[in-house]
Amino acid sequence: MQKIMIIEDDPVVREELVLLLENEGYMPLSVTDFDGVLKQAARECPDLVLLDIGLPGRDGFSLCAALRKAAPAPVIFVTSRDDGVDEVRALSLGGDDYITKPYSVPVLLARIKAVLRRSSCKPEPADLLEAGELRLSLTKGMASSGGKAVELSRNELQILACLMTHAGQIVSRADLIDALWDNQIYIDDNTLSVNMTRLRGKLEEIGLPDAIRTRRGMGYQL
Amino acid sequence: MTLREFLSDRLGRIALQLICAGLSALFLFATGTQLGVLVILLIGLLLVFLIVNMLDFFRQRTRLLELETIWQGLDRKYLFAECVSQPKGIYKRRLFDLTRRASRAMTSAVSDAQASQREYREYVEQWVHEIKAPITAARLICRELDGKTRRKLTAELAQIEAHVERALFYARADNPQQDCLLWQIDLEKIVSQAIENHRSLLIQSGVRIETEKLDCTVYTDEKWAVFILGQLLQNAARYRGTEPLITLSAKQLAHQTWLIVKDNGIGIPAHELPRVFDRGFTGSNGRIRGGSTGMGLYLCRKLAGFLELGLDIASEEGKGTAVTLMFPAKKKLTEL
Repeated sequence: MQKIMIIEDDPVVREELVLLLENEGYMPLSVTDFDGVLKQAARECPDLVLLDIGLPGRDGFSLCAALRKAAPAPVIFVTSRDDGVDEVRALSLGGDDYITKPYSVPVLLARIKAVLRRSSCKPEPADLLEAGELRLSLTKGMASSGGKAVELSRNELQILACLMTHAGQIVSRADLIDALWDNQIYIDDNTLSVNMTRLRGKLEEIGLPDAIRTRRGMGYQL
Repeated sequence: MTLREFLSDRLGRIALQLICAGLSALFLFATGTQLGVLVILLIGLLLVFLIVNMLDFFRQRTRLLELETIWQGLDRKYLFAECVSQPKGIYKRRLFDLTRRASRAMTSAVSDAQASQREYREYVEQWVHEIKAPITAARLICRELDGKTRRKLTAELAQIEAHVERALFYARADNPQQDCLLWQIDLEKIVSQAIENHRSLLIQSGVRIETEKLDCTVYTDEKWAVFILGQLLQNAARYRGTEPLITLSAKQLAHQTWLIVKDNGIGIPAHELPRVFDRGFTGSNGRIRGGSTGMGLYLCRKLAGFLELGLDIASEEGKGTAVTLMFPAKKKLTEL
C-alpha cells in the first residue's frame, strides 16, 4: 500500500483527506506536529507528500526544500493561494505538482495517481479491460468477444470503459456524464442516449446484444 | 505663449509707459527744452521700454517652456509643484507657496486613499484564501453523500466558488501587474481548465460542448485567461436556450490567435449589446432570469485590457451569442 503524507493545517480538510485516501486504497499519514514533520518523514518514508503552503510557523516552500533532503518522496503542493508566482516557485523548488484549493476530488485523485505513477515508474494502467466474455482494448479502441471485434468511437469507448471498471454495479447516467467530462468529452444527456444506443448496436454485432442492462430510474449495469 | 498674447496681457502697462513718456515730453517742451533734445530723449525712452518688455517676454516664455517640460516628464502629475523651482518676487512666491500647500494636501489625500485601497485589496485576497479552506472541506465531505444530494451541493459550492473567484479578480484588477505572468500556454489547457472549473453548472444546465482545432499555443496569463473564459461559459450556461450547445473553436491569424466561444442561447437584444461590458449592467435577460451581477463581462473586459487581449461580442436575439477572444502574438507582448 502506498503511503501518502498529509501536511495540512486545517483539521477538517485533513481528516476528510485521510478518509478519502483510505477509501481509495492508500495509506494516509496525517501530520499534526508541524515541528517534527521532517523526522516523521524520514522515519515513515512516504511515497508521496501532500503539502499545504500556508502552514503555521513555517512556510511550505522552505519545508519542501528540507523535506526533499529528509525523504526522497515526490511532493504535491496544495494551496489556496493561486498567484502564478507561487506556482513557479513551488515547481522550481522541486514540487512535482501544484493544486489550488478548492480542488475537486476526482482532480486531486487523478493528480496523486499521476505523480505516483511517474515516481514509481510503474507501467501505464492496464490497457485491456475484461468483464465476462467482453474484452476492451483502450489503446486500440476495440471491443471483442468470442473472436468477433468491433471498432468503437471515442465516446463509446469511454462509456464502455466506465461501465466495465464498475462491472456488476449500477452506474447512473450522471456518473457516466461525469466520467466522460473527465476525459474532455463534454456531452449532454441526449447525446449520451444516442451514444448508448450506438454502443449497444455495436455490442450486438459481436454477439452481446443484452450486455448493458437499463435499470429504470437508476442507470446502467454491465 | 506667443508675442501677441504677451502684448495683450501687457497692454495696460505699455499704454501707461507711453502716456508717461508723452506727458513728460509735453512738460519739457512747455518749459523750453529744444525739440532735437526731446526727440533723442523720447527715442531713448522708447528703446528702454522695448528692451525691458522684450526681456520680460523672453524670460516668461523660457520659464513656461521649462515648466511644460517638467510637466511632460512627470509620472505622477500631482507632484508638479514639488518638482518646480521657486519663482522670484514676493507676490509670485506667496502664490507658489499656496499652490504647493494645496498640492501637498492633495498628495497626502491620494496616498491615504492608495494605502486604504491596498489594505482593502490585501484583506479581500486574504479572505478569499481563507474561505477556500472551508469550501475544500465541504467538497470533501460532499463525497460521502449519495449521488443526487452530492451533485446538488457540489453545484451550489461551485456557485460559491465562482462568486469568490470574481471577488478575487475584482480586487486584483486594480493592480494587475502584480499577478500577471505572461507565458506560452496551450489553448487546450486553458479551455479544459475553464470547463473543469464550471463543470457542475455546465452539466446541470444540460450543456453540450464541442471543441474544434484548439491545438495551438497562445501567450497570456493562464489564470486570467481561464477566469475570462470561465465567465463566458457561465454566461452561456445561464442564458441557454433549448438543447444548449457551446462551441469552442480556434482560428490562427498572422498576428493573433482567436478563440471563439459560440452558444445557441437566448442572445442579447441589439440595443443592449454595446453596454454588456459596462459595470453592473444586467440587461433585460439578467433582470428576467435574476441572479445576474453585471460584473462578469465587466471584469472580462478590464482584465483583457491588461493582457492585451481583444474581446469582441456578437449576438442575435433567439439565436445565440459569439464572443471572440483575440490573443496577441508573442512579438507584440514583449512591449508590455
